[in-house]
Amino acid sequence: MTRILVVDDSATIRKMVRASLQELCPAEFAEAASGLEAIEQLAISKVSLLVLDLNMPDMHGIDVLRFVRQQPSLQRLPVVVLTTRGDDSSRIAAQQAGATAYLTKPFIPGKLAETVRGLLVGTPDAMGLR
Amino acid sequence: VTTDLELDGFLDDYFAECDEHLSDARRHLLSLEAALGSPGAERSAVDGLFRIFHSIKGISGMVELREAEQLAHEMESYLRALRQRELLLTAEGVDALIDGAQRLEQVVAARSREAAIPPIADLQSRLAALVPAARVAATAMTSGNAPVPPPASGLTFRVGFRPSRERADQSIGVDLIRRRIAEHGTILETIPHVGDDGSIEFVFVVTTTDVVGLESLRALHATVDRIGEAPAGAVVGSPPNDAPAPAQAERAPSSQYVRVELERLDQLMHGVGDLVISRARLSDSLARAEARVPASEWRAIQENAATIDRQLRTLREGIMRVRLVPIGEVFNRMPLVVRDLARSFGRRVDLQLEGQGTEIDKYLIERMMDPVLHLVRNAIAHGIETPEVRIAAGKTPQGTIQLSAATVGDRVTIEIADDGAGIDVERVLQTARAAGLPVSPGPPAGATLLALICAPGLSTRTESDRAAGRGVGMAVVKTAVEQLSGSLSVDTVPGQGTRFTIQLPITLAITDALITRVGTQTFAIPQGAVREVLEVDPALIRTVEQHEIVPHRQAALPLLRVARLFGIAAVPRDRLHVFVAGQDSATVGFAVDRIIGQREIVVRPIVDPLARVEGVSGATDLGDGRVVLILDPVALGRMARRPGIQARTSAGHSNET
Repeated sequence: MTRILVVDDSATIRKMVRASLQELCPAEFAEAASGLEAIEQLAISKVSLLVLDLNMPDMHGIDVLRFVRQQPSLQRLPVVVLTTRGDDSSRIAAQQAGATAYLTKPFIPGKLAETVRGLLVGTPDAMGLR
Repeated sequence: VTTDLELDGFLDDYFAECDEHLSDARRHLLSLEAALGSPGAERSAVDGLFRIFHSIKGISGMVELREAEQLAHEMESYLRALRQRELLLTAEGVDALIDGAQRLEQVVAARSREAAIPPIADLQSRLAALVPAARVAATAMTSGNAPVPPPASGLTFRVGFRPSRERADQSIGVDLIRRRIAEHGTILETIPHVGDDGSIEFVFVVTTTDVVGLESLRALHATVDRIGEAPAGAVVGSPPNDAPAPAQAERAPSSQYVRVELERLDQLMHGVGDLVISRARLSDSLARAEARVPASEWRAIQENAATIDRQLRTLREGIMRVRLVPIGEVFNRMPLVVRDLARSFGRRVDLQLEGQGTEIDKYLIERMMDPVLHLVRNAIAHGIETPEVRIAAGKTPQGTIQLSAATVGDRVTIEIADDGAGIDVERVLQTARAAGLPVSPGPPAGATLLALICAPGLSTRTESDRAAGRGVGMAVVKTAVEQLSGSLSVDTVPGQGTRFTIQLPITLAITDALITRVGTQTFAIPQGAVREVLEVDPALIRTVEQHEIVPHRQAALPLLRVARLFGIAAVPRDRLHVFVAGQDSATVGFAVDRIIGQREIVVRPIVDPLARVEGVSGATDLGDGRVVLILDPVALGRMARRPGIQARTSAGHSNET
């Protein structure tokens, strides 16, 4: 089963992300409200794709991303960084840390869904191989 | 931006989240103002505010509330510059942030009411002027710059936690651990650590003085090991700091909570109410069947009934607790209000808050905001003197307003006390006479004084002042409190200050009540309003100046007969039951034929204005299907003090005897 982890400290954004993805990307959804919780989820459950906010209390999204890429098992995990627009420097930081895609908030739901679907197609999860 | 999401479905989440953020922002703004001039202390407030307005910007963009997005953006930009130490915080900057936060609140509130959005251009340019243009775009946002809280004195510990599926199933996760650590110490650093076997351990470096508290985390499968003593000033560049701890230490993250529409809780409460009524019905049927049931079986039935009673009470209390919110929601808005008003009235005021954790029904909280706000405004506008006057009177130039709340039984007491000039009783009397209000001889105090200052249209201010209303204020406060089955009292000492006390039930929905009979009618009286129940021999009743009184505790207790108040034909009896309600000089005994018992009742407010009657606060169903009116002793007492009713009372009296 495809499992998407949505990480954002705003409950409203998490709900909107799920609502945007629901139709185009049938998957099981998990949520995390902080960077630490995201890492916990990644450690104890299987995640097919990560939607990751950057500016969060207690652990910045870039640090979460760096941590993810240091784990051999997570090196190929698709990570969609979804952050509030305005910090152009964070796009570069996110790419350097290993983001697969970078979108800004306010996001266009259709565009997010297409990006996520594009990343999921071809993964073993989506083809039912795992 | 075109969107294929139905925004309406997210607006409630948005408003709730903005509320949370803005209430955190208010707290940070106050500590920021207090910390002005000590850069180290500013740090945690600036960091907190930066994140708050960044978040508001993000979610406002999503719900297409451009004004909120843009205003939050300007505030975020200014805070970013402060955070990166490019700018020094100025008083002007703090003012702009405070005004910005207030405007933001107005913008969000306007969107929520679907009203016209207030303009933001003035604040945008004020905030933009604070930030040197060239630097904004140029500075890079560095990652991983989570603020390091100032070191607390004490011992340093390493707390380790390994997450697992089993622990997560028991709701033991990193977030719980982090919150529990924050309750007992200060987190200096958080590191997710990967072991050789690929397993993950979260490592927290913590300083604490509460070692026992921290060690209690072992019960949650965390390891707690001491790694040394925190030397004073060990963390470079962090001067001593007495600013409040960062927000996340105080507010648990939202993922631990479920937001529920108040309406759903109301439905649940209604359901429990129906259950209470059905239970009462069952009681009645059982009582009728008792004679015909064999004793051995009757005992089992009674035991089961008692168990259901107990469980029902637990259920009812549980649901009631869900509806309770800390009164801090109201109190925490006051510091900013006091700050603004003190400034515009030229007063110096120290606001002291106490008992913010006191819990009260959400429904009541929402309706208490305006009354409390008004009393606080009055305390500044009419109570606290100017510094010059205070010094001349031998007081400190700075006045004090104490706002406190406490729970007593199933009632909540809210007090608003100032150490100002006290109410000018002479002036109140003059104004009252001029307005043609009936004034009894002698200096008014307590309830009489309250009645005068709460009379619609009475104001002791000659000029209309913008903050404290125009003479309708106190009347509105009193009405609002009484509509919530509460009571208001005042206590004032010339030259020393004024204290207003509001008493409210914790919740309105279900309450214990005394059930009484008057003639052929049944009434319920909320038990919280009743101070005492007496049995009175009618022969002891005396009539003085057309008022009936009975001797009670070496004094005369004014007596009102409920039958006469409602024009019910009373059956002459050799014993009357009297319940005593009200405070001080407003203490009144209400005579009924009989008090027949005590019951849990479900209060159904009477909404139809045509069916609303003074002295009746609602209706209930005792289980036999008949509707019973709930009496409001405070309103009844007030009704009876009015001349017309008194005349009727005494007329009725003479007819009967």
